[in-house]
Amino acid sequence: MSWSDVIGADALIPLLVATLRLAIPTMLAAVGECFCERSGVLNLGLEGMMLTGALAAFVGGHHTGSAAVGAVSGTLAGGLLAVVLGCFVVRGKVDQVVAGIAVVLLAQGVTALAYLRLFSSATTPPSVDGSPPIAIPLLEEIPVLGPVLFRQTALVYASMAMVAVLAWALFRTRFGLSLRAAGESPAAADAAGIRVERVRWIALTVSGAMAGLGGAVLIDQLELFRENVTAGRGWVAIAIVILVRWNPVGAILGALLFGFTDALQFRIQSAAGGVETAVPFELFQALPYLVTLLVVVASALHFKTRAQPRALGVPYDR
Amino acid sequence: MTASSLVEPPTVADDLAPALESARGERWRPLLGTIVAVAVALALGAGLLLISGADPVSSYAALLDGAVGSRRAIELLLVQSVPLLIMGLGLCAAYRARVWNIGTEGQFQVGALGAGAFLLLTPLGSSPIAIPAAMLVGAAAGGILAWSIGALRARWEINEVVTSLLSNYVVLFGVAYVVRKPLRDQTSGASLQSERIPDVAALPTLPGSRVHIGLVLALVLVPLLLWALTRTPFGMRVRMVGMNADAAEAAGVATRSVIARTMLISGLLAGLAGAIQVMGVELRLTTSMSTGIGFTAIVVALLGRLHPLGVVFSALLIAGLSVGGNVMQLRVGVPNAVVLVIEALIVLFVVLANRRGLLAGGSR
Repeated sequence: MSWSDVIGADALIPLLVATLRLAIPTMLAAVGECFCERSGVLNLGLEGMMLTGALAAFVGGHHTGSAAVGAVSGTLAGGLLAVVLGCFVVRGKVDQVVAGIAVVLLAQGVTALAYLRLFSSATTPPSVDGSPPIAIPLLEEIPVLGPVLFRQTALVYASMAMVAVLAWALFRTRFGLSLRAAGESPAAADAAGIRVERVRWIALTVSGAMAGLGGAVLIDQLELFRENVTAGRGWVAIAIVILVRWNPVGAILGALLFGFTDALQFRIQSAAGGVETAVPFELFQALPYLVTLLVVVASALHFKTRAQPRALGVPYDR
Repeated sequence: MTASSLVEPPTVADDLAPALESARGERWRPLLGTIVAVAVALALGAGLLLISGADPVSSYAALLDGAVGSRRAIELLLVQSVPLLIMGLGLCAAYRARVWNIGTEGQFQVGALGAGAFLLLTPLGSSPIAIPAAMLVGAAAGGILAWSIGALRARWEINEVVTSLLSNYVVLFGVAYVVRKPLRDQTSGASLQSERIPDVAALPTLPGSRVHIGLVLALVLVPLLLWALTRTPFGMRVRMVGMNADAAEAAGVATRSVIARTMLISGLLAGLAGAIQVMGVELRLTTSMSTGIGFTAIVVALLGRLHPLGVVFSALLIAGLSVGGNVMQLRVGVPNAVVLVIEALIVLFVVLANRRGLLAGGSR
């Protein structure tokens, strides 16, 4: 295996295409989580919402053959699980860390149960057909960025649009301002007439829906479902939010970093062609998580000021 | 956040008062709340079984029978409860300080790995040396990992939920590698496992049963942790940091040290649990050693309301659900995943019932 096979001129474009493709699920979850945490709610159930969305998308896509149906199912399922979490943390004022983790366990159990019950009679492993890439004419001709950005599937385009809308909404709309106020100083926001609880409900549900959509996109790419198919992407998304200091644009970049290490590790493994390399393949599998961990630490060491929304994780009692 | 808390910062006395009051009179209400929560979770579980086409009555009957229906079942239950109890005790310490160690899965595995590798690579002649030594190595491995995570939180406020979770994945792949290459049992064919640990290191069983002595060790740890967390100044400091870290700091408590130490304790115990599992149950390193036991320990700690005696009961309950769930799957065909759902529901309803405070005694 030579390194030019991995990042040489010919290999670079496919690598970047793969980077964006692999980054999208995590990106959706991370930007959604930014949105949510900025309102003061810590959504630790993200991994569970992604997983639930993935299952719903798989079931929907399997029965109808349509990736769009899958995507909508996934989004709704993720949002629904967020509502469940909201009952406990927004309404019930329960500790957000514990409830979030419990929701992840709940989702893992329910999805495993549902998958086994729904597909136990299948003789061959069930699958869905992934959507085909759609090239956008003219734009795809742009050197380097063209193929990377404009030869993706419809789901990826929709996801990129969602992410942009959310990022814009957070900083350029009245609602976004109310949301950020609820996260920094809920008492002052309340005094100014902002309905803190309602804002937080919306933010939490949106983050769940985004995570669910992320799960749907993942299924579209993998074309199958298995237990814990999300493999920690939800947790990585939460880490990204912290390391980019709750900035949605930063979250996009952070997700791309994760996508890059993911794409790189696949590339390295396939370029090595199954031959035993000096470096074990488990290291490459661990690479995305390791890199995320290191970047989280480096970011905390580098930035001296606190960027965390002041009311994050604290339930608001009027 | 009430209006008065906007005007002046809460003092330590404000936070301690409810804890001291309720410790005397109100101990039964939180317990009742926990029992109701478990009942609600079981009821919802029954509903889920109905929806998925299974008969709840026969499913739960199989669950119960599988857990306590025979001597063998009870022995299995006790063996299964050992790592849960040990890890749960450690998490009591961390969670009391609101240090959210979610990395017990990784700390357990690294402890198992450390003990297993130590036993396979170091020739130790006799049990009285090999067993304690391996336990120490396992505990140390878990402790170092957890302490690092705690230090990152203590020194640079790096969120421990995220770092501990990500470390789980890294450890997972590390263990997979070690089992596949350096310590692989070449004679085992396709299955990925290490060689068997030397017989001198296998934990002896209690006379007349198949339960290993790890149970005794776990039970010894209970009064030890109980004393440390409720009767020492350290335990007091842990509780203060958990209730209000800023107020504790203002009152002169070295919060950073408390954070690092509670993480260390939970890591040491998780690593020890891993070592005991290798020496008492698995007898070799495999890629399927933990199967989520680190996360189950979190459920155990929360259900036991972070009290060592509570954790004894919750460890037995959760172990029972686990063991019973396997039998239920075999007999009635209901997937084991139902047990995971019930456990998650238990946690959700227990924290809902006790939202005035996670700690036994009602303090926040």
